[in-house]
Amino acid sequence: MTLWRHETRLLLRSRLALAALILMALLSAAAVAAGMAEVARQHAAIDAVAAAQAEDIGAVADYVDRTKDAGSAAYYSFHPTWDSPAPLAFAAIGMRDVAPYILRVRALGLEAQIYDGDTFNPELALPGRFDFSFVLVFLAPLFAIALFHDLKSGEREAGRARMLDAMPGGRRLWFRRAMVRFALLLGALIVPFLVGAILSGVGVGAMLLIVIVAALYLLFWIGLAALVARLGHGSTANAATLAGLWLMLVLVIPTFANVAINRAVPVGQGSEIALAQRERVHAAWEIPREETMRRFYASHPQWADSPPLPQAFHYKWYFAFHQLGDESVADRVRAYRQGLERRAAIANSLGWVLPSVGVQALLTRLARTDLAAQLAYQDRIRAFHRDLREFYYGYMFRDRPFAKADFAHAPRFGAPLTP
Amino acid sequence: MVAIRAARMPRPPRFGATPLMMQETAMPNPNSEILIDAVQLSYGSHHVLNGLSLNVAGGEVYALLGGNGAGKSTTLSALLGFVRADAGRVAVGGIDPARDPDGARRRIAYLPENVALYEHLSAVENADYLLALSGTPRARAAIVEALAAAGLQERAYDQRLAGFSKGMRQKVAIAVALLREVPVLLLDEPTSGLDPRATSDFNTLLHAVRDRGTAVLMVTHDLLSAADVADRIGFLEGGRIVEEVTAEGPARFDVRGLRDRFAGRALAA
Repeated sequence: MTLWRHETRLLLRSRLALAALILMALLSAAAVAAGMAEVARQHAAIDAVAAAQAEDIGAVADYVDRTKDAGSAAYYSFHPTWDSPAPLAFAAIGMRDVAPYILRVRALGLEAQIYDGDTFNPELALPGRFDFSFVLVFLAPLFAIALFHDLKSGEREAGRARMLDAMPGGRRLWFRRAMVRFALLLGALIVPFLVGAILSGVGVGAMLLIVIVAALYLLFWIGLAALVARLGHGSTANAATLAGLWLMLVLVIPTFANVAINRAVPVGQGSEIALAQRERVHAAWEIPREETMRRFYASHPQWADSPPLPQAFHYKWYFAFHQLGDESVADRVRAYRQGLERRAAIANSLGWVLPSVGVQALLTRLARTDLAAQLAYQDRIRAFHRDLREFYYGYMFRDRPFAKADFAHAPRFGAPLTP
Repeated sequence: MVAIRAARMPRPPRFGATPLMMQETAMPNPNSEILIDAVQLSYGSHHVLNGLSLNVAGGEVYALLGGNGAGKSTTLSALLGFVRADAGRVAVGGIDPARDPDGARRRIAYLPENVALYEHLSAVENADYLLALSGTPRARAAIVEALAAAGLQERAYDQRLAGFSKGMRQKVAIAVALLREVPVLLLDEPTSGLDPRATSDFNTLLHAVRDRGTAVLMVTHDLLSAADVADRIGFLEGGRIVEEVTAEGPARFDVRGLRDRFAGRALAA
């Protein structure tokens, strides 16, 4: 039997160590299962969008076909957008539980539609998400502490350290033991992840990268345990010191850093943008219609040759002031986005000195569940909304009749967009 | 019987009971398995060993007696390469433990005062593990044979060590030492805490080890046990041997005389 197998047997004969490894594996498996269930739920919701869309269009199509009114078609029809989860999303749900991954938009003002969600989604962030990244970042260090706090001090307290040191190659013993514990802990953590990753179709490169990140993160905590052990205290003192470091590095410092970042980079609420856009839209009812159209044509000259507004209500005026409402908050939207990106950039920089923050940021980036992914989805929504507006404007501003069959020509999300 | 491949050193001659007084009379023997020559060793400003010299040949048991702080454990630490002498020479089979600790430790089996083994492993598994650790793996049959030679009862072979007495643990450790076939055995207070029967068993075992040519250095407070098993007894005080006596005749040592002389030196006879 090789020394590695001896060390493995020795570790697994310890009930505490065995229980810790089993618990680590169970937590990791539960987190992977929970993440996969959430991703499956999101996939099912996205898959159901097409049928719901057909039903929605069917509900308004008859009415529209009777009136031939393109404005009614634009006003009453919702068009779905979605952000399909990446294969790795199960491992790090990230912002997918606070930011919408399906948004049904109309050709009306978009910003209010995008930021309406901000009024309720943050509540979902409070409990957090039990996923693999949570287990890796928050829980795995505790297991590393449990397995490594007494690596040498435990032998000293049991009275075996001197005898072991007196063996030839005694120093290699500690390295071997540390490696066995590290390998088993990493295995307990990563095997459930690998199973989930294979089932989710994650690429080999991404899997390998996650394994390396997890290994490096565990090695950071093991190194910390080794540094604490060099102080020469007993196992209890080592455990208490490491638990304190865990509290500081994983909870306290990141929390204070988050507060500091939020203070250093003030960013308004998304709901404030939605409110401002709506106020502007509502105020437009009090503004002379010609004034509204003049402003609209100034920024959309391609429609300036549209026939004059009739005395009666016309949807092109309604859609024009909605669009002007969006344009009136464009600076706030830009500032809001830049503020979020600035905060994320600072947080990512913090990740270079705070491994817990860095690992979480890296996992959400790889899983495409971070802020950048959310903003990219918003960009896709905006591009789609632009195409949607142009589609309906083509009918409204040219007074072309809109028939039931014309719905089939409406742009579809996911199809190639106008460059 | 356990196959012993260690170099069989001739038994040292039984010198007369005339004590070798004072350190400077103990001449270093270059053929000794254990050689300590004029060693000075300090911890900071505290001088622990002050010109200590002793040597132990193969097939000889040397008992180093001394009170607390006399330098007994430091002597073992120097032989194991845990500490480096400030001056003088330390060698185990000709190897300086400070320069080549692994080389020295390959020649040494060390039994601490409290032989603590792995309680969640059986006696055989403990021996199996420690032998593998020391680079001398042995088959189960050989381990069982050594445990028997060490006097461990057969029913204890596969029992976990949780319920073992100190004497039983020592037998396991001695079995490991036998199987390692090392030429040097270092014992730190081996009979401390043992009942009289276990002490007697241990001493018998030690005789057997010595008869196989092993050089044994034991540090102890226990004059009676030392007198029972040692070929020579050195009295350590202030970091040097102040008196050394050699076994002579059937009575071996004048225990009463030794006790009287060293009663004031914290020796627990």
